[in-house]
Amino acid sequence: MTRGRHASRPGRPAGLITLLAGSLVALGGLAGLVSGAVTSGSGYQGGPIPHVHAPRGRAAMLASASQDGQVPAPLFLVIPAIGVHTRLIRLRTAGDGSMEVPQHANVAGWYAASARPGAIGPAVIAGHVDSLTTPGVFVGLKYLRPGDLVYVVRADVSVVRFVITAIQLYAKDAFPSAAVYGPVPYAAIRLITCGGAFDYATGHYLSNVVAFGYQVGRGYSRHRGHRSE
Amino acid sequence: MRLMSRSSRILNALSAVALSLGLLSIAGPATSATPAGWLRLAHLSPNTPPVDVYLYSLGNPKARVVLHHVSYGTVSPYLRAAAGVYTVEMRPAGATASSPPVLSTAVHVHAGDAYTVAGMGPAKGLRLQVLTDRLTSPPGHAMVRVIQASMREHLVTVRAGSSVIGTKLPFATATAYRAVPMGRLTIRAVGENEHALSTVTLNSGTIHTLVILDRSRHLGIDDLTDAAGTRFHPRTAPETGLGGTAPPRRPSSITWLAFIAAGLLLAGSGLVRFRRSRPSGGSGGSSLQASTSESATR
Repeated sequence: MTRGRHASRPGRPAGLITLLAGSLVALGGLAGLVSGAVTSGSGYQGGPIPHVHAPRGRAAMLASASQDGQVPAPLFLVIPAIGVHTRLIRLRTAGDGSMEVPQHANVAGWYAASARPGAIGPAVIAGHVDSLTTPGVFVGLKYLRPGDLVYVVRADVSVVRFVITAIQLYAKDAFPSAAVYGPVPYAAIRLITCGGAFDYATGHYLSNVVAFGYQVGRGYSRHRGHRSE
Repeated sequence: MRLMSRSSRILNALSAVALSLGLLSIAGPATSATPAGWLRLAHLSPNTPPVDVYLYSLGNPKARVVLHHVSYGTVSPYLRAAAGVYTVEMRPAGATASSPPVLSTAVHVHAGDAYTVAGMGPAKGLRLQVLTDRLTSPPGHAMVRVIQASMREHLVTVRAGSSVIGTKLPFATATAYRAVPMGRLTIRAVGENEHALSTVTLNSGTIHTLVILDRSRHLGIDDLTDAAGTRFHPRTAPETGLGGTAPPRRPSSITWLAFIAAGLLLAGSGLVRFRRSRPSGGSGGSSLQASTSESATR
């Protein structure tokens, strides 16, 4: 009898349990599939944009062809449109021929082999989009729009003002070195961070976000003026 | 000493230019996203008194930019100009905008290109010359050209280090660009009676125009940066993110489909087992006890 009970009893409850467990697993898979389809591509959606004022100070003059070497070093970067207000550290060229990037995600850096902001040439500024856990100083860079203003405060407390012309996403293996680092006849700014898909295998983003801009000088800044054709 | 007086003089001139830009630019150069080129204006005629320089876009009687009291040796910063046709006019300094210009010329600005529009020649043969400025240089080199704007020395030979940029250049001419090795170079400009020396730093990826000028007592050399790139082009794209704001890693839909399949299999096998374990022919109402005894019998 005892033996019989043991032999016979597991059949039904075990079958029932297997049935229920299987259904749960299948339902879980379905839920995962649906939620994946609904929220795929999400991640950080952007927090509230901190309120940042345009810096006050003497406006820098337009870059002139003769003033090379007399331009003061950059200290701060301010981008009201995306709530950026950061100190600028100096980035050098690393031993492997790459540009150094800031050690901390909350600060941007100016590439010391590029033009000083307000001198003729591209002033290259790089910042992180995020750290392992938190948003970085340039998390909002991809939300910049042509016409947005960017300010760099320099060591002599003068303020260089740039207007953004384009924001582009480039695959890292197709980074447009010439467009970013190549010669230009005016004082340009290039803001660089990471973007696009994130590769969990390598721990890196697959693309870069680059914002391009040029200096607007004292009074020469009414870009929404009428076109005359 | 020479350098000091030169730079301060140029700075003064530039401040004046910037000031007039500030006061009198009537409309900015189109919106920031439109394709644009770059234009700068220069006065390089030694015996022509200061002028006012007007920039119009074709067909618009309102000047887009007015540079006031531009004197000999002044070169304005590059101004961004939407691609299209422009007119540059020169009037004696202080003349009203409606007065007839002394000189005028048309400039076709192509997107991405840069131009220097310079008043050149003696006062009596003054003309506006449009020069196309170069924006690229070969790796490891700088590009240099010379504008010979000295009237006292009608023929000037210019060397950058050991490279000859131009031999016996006549007054009011410009050379083509020449590649020179990067580095600090001594520029020598030698005329019949006067000469000038200047040390310039030519970084890789920079493009320069050397202007030979009549100073009050001697020949002068003004080094203009036409364009500049970074001194070094980093080899790799910057790694500026660690993924903290990336979409969280989630299993692909194939994984979820595998889950569903496995779950269905499991449930199926459970169902089969459940049905098999029922009493044969027993009704749904059979009790646990009944089922137990049935199994025992088997």
